[in-house]
Amino acid sequence: MISMNKVSKHYGAFQVLTDCTTQVQKGEVIVVCGPSGSGKSTLIKCVNGLEPFQSGEIIVNGVSVGAPATNLSKLRSTVGMVFQNFELFPHMSIIDNLSIAQLKVLGRNQEQAREKGYKLLDRVGLREQAEKYPGQLSGGQQQRVAIARALAMDPICMLFDEPTSALDPEMVNEVLDVMTELAKEGMTMMCVTHEMGFAKRVASRVIFMDQGRIVEDDSKEAFFEHARSERAQQFLAKILHH
Amino acid sequence: MHDFDWSSIPNALPFLWDGMKISLEITLSAVVFGIVWGTLLALMRLSSVTPLSWFAAGYVNLFRAVPLVMVLLWFFLIVPHLLESIFGFPRGSDMRLSSAIAGFALFEAAYYSEIIRAGIQSVPKGQMAAASALGMTYGQAMRLVVLPQAFRNMVPLLLTQGIILFQDTSLVYVSALADFFGAAYKVGDRDGRLVELLLFAGAVYFVICFTASRIVRYYQNKLKTA
Ligand SMILES: Nc1ncnc2c1ncn2[C@@H]1O[C@H](COP(=O)(O)OP(=O)(O)OP(=O)(O)O)[C@@H](O)[C@H]1O
Ligand SMILES: [Mg+2]
Repeated sequence: MISMNKVSKHYGAFQVLTDCTTQVQKGEVIVVCGPSGSGKSTLIKCVNGLEPFQSGEIIVNGVSVGAPATNLSKLRSTVGMVFQNFELFPHMSIIDNLSIAQLKVLGRNQEQAREKGYKLLDRVGLREQAEKYPGQLSGGQQQRVAIARALAMDPICMLFDEPTSALDPEMVNEVLDVMTELAKEGMTMMCVTHEMGFAKRVASRVIFMDQGRIVEDDSKEAFFEHARSERAQQFLAKILHH
Repeated sequence: MHDFDWSSIPNALPFLWDGMKISLEITLSAVVFGIVWGTLLALMRLSSVTPLSWFAAGYVNLFRAVPLVMVLLWFFLIVPHLLESIFGFPRGSDMRLSSAIAGFALFEAAYYSEIIRAGIQSVPKGQMAAASALGMTYGQAMRLVVLPQAFRNMVPLLLTQGIILFQDTSLVYVSALADFFGAAYKVGDRDGRLVELLLFAGAVYFVICFTASRIVRYYQNKLKTA
């Protein structure tokens, strides 16, 4: 589904990603973790071309992301993305947030788009909020809407960039529950998160990044029981004791 | 001490109202064209295509560095001649109103584009990223997501600029076009009551602009609390 081969990126002299190589199969859930500034966000934003990269290759569902001839907008409409700060459109009602890209990008009609939107709001338990505006919802609710908005495009895979780290602790689980549900249904997912409980329950594999490199890329059992690198061991020790 | 005599005003009211209509026409047209052209300039300025952003930067800096009254004079004196010789417009046709509108619109666009550019930049970067991630093109993301939010924040500034523009329309007197100020001047000059007419005109400008800026402030407060 997603294949990365020796992806590198730099800002001037600063190397953000170095030779990142990994494969994500259909239906897999990959958790990406690592210290702040290690390049996790950059890595998953390369997958849908939100960040350009200078060398290497990323293939998503047979399409090369970096190739100049690739229609990036079209590619992105098939890859869902959820951001740390939700990024709902504040000037639109919740249902319009869910409909707008269906209408303008997929060319669905108003009726189809709304029906799909309502169905997904039901699914994340927010049907009654459809006519409200994002500012009237709690952080956890907004993030569930953001997930529903991405799902409305019928994506072939989903990218998450720290979807719970801007949330108050009591709202983390409502979002993780939606993600867990999604994983159970077989959605292919790449999640940057520090929620190790989620990783232990749901992940197929864990990628650990440090200074722009993929340092560990292993099954979750192998990662949690005997991480090979010292950096990953330190990271785990720190994060699990919190 | 001056003996005030206001008697020439009541009879002149229809003429003054015609002048006010010209002032308002210039203001509204220049605001609309200025915002449209200013938005395009702002988008060019922010674009990654270097020639476009240079052109916009050059345009804005040029118009902000010359006095408005000079721009107006260019438009009154030079542009009609150009149009005559290029498009064969009949010589001597009165183009003062359209020249004034064009001059104001092109001049104001430079100011509007700076307001709009700041407005676009005040929308969080993540909004563009989220719109793109949903598969929207750059144009769709701008039009549907970024610009509506930018304009919402900018409305007070754009209106304030419109109020300034309304006052500045009085500069068309350089072309002897009878806008409100020009009309008041003409009446005062004719009746030898210039002081009264100019005081009256000043009071009218004050009432209109003061009321308008109160409305802007009210809207601004509403935005803040929303
Ligand atoms: N536009 C930019 N210009 C220069 N450096 C940048 C830019 N964007 C990101 N970086 C740097 O790239 C590195 C990786 O950033 P990235 O956001 O991918 O890290 P991260 O692993 O997601 O960190 P965090 O956990 O804090 O979100 C950081 O050191 C950051 O400072
Ligand atoms: Mg990050």
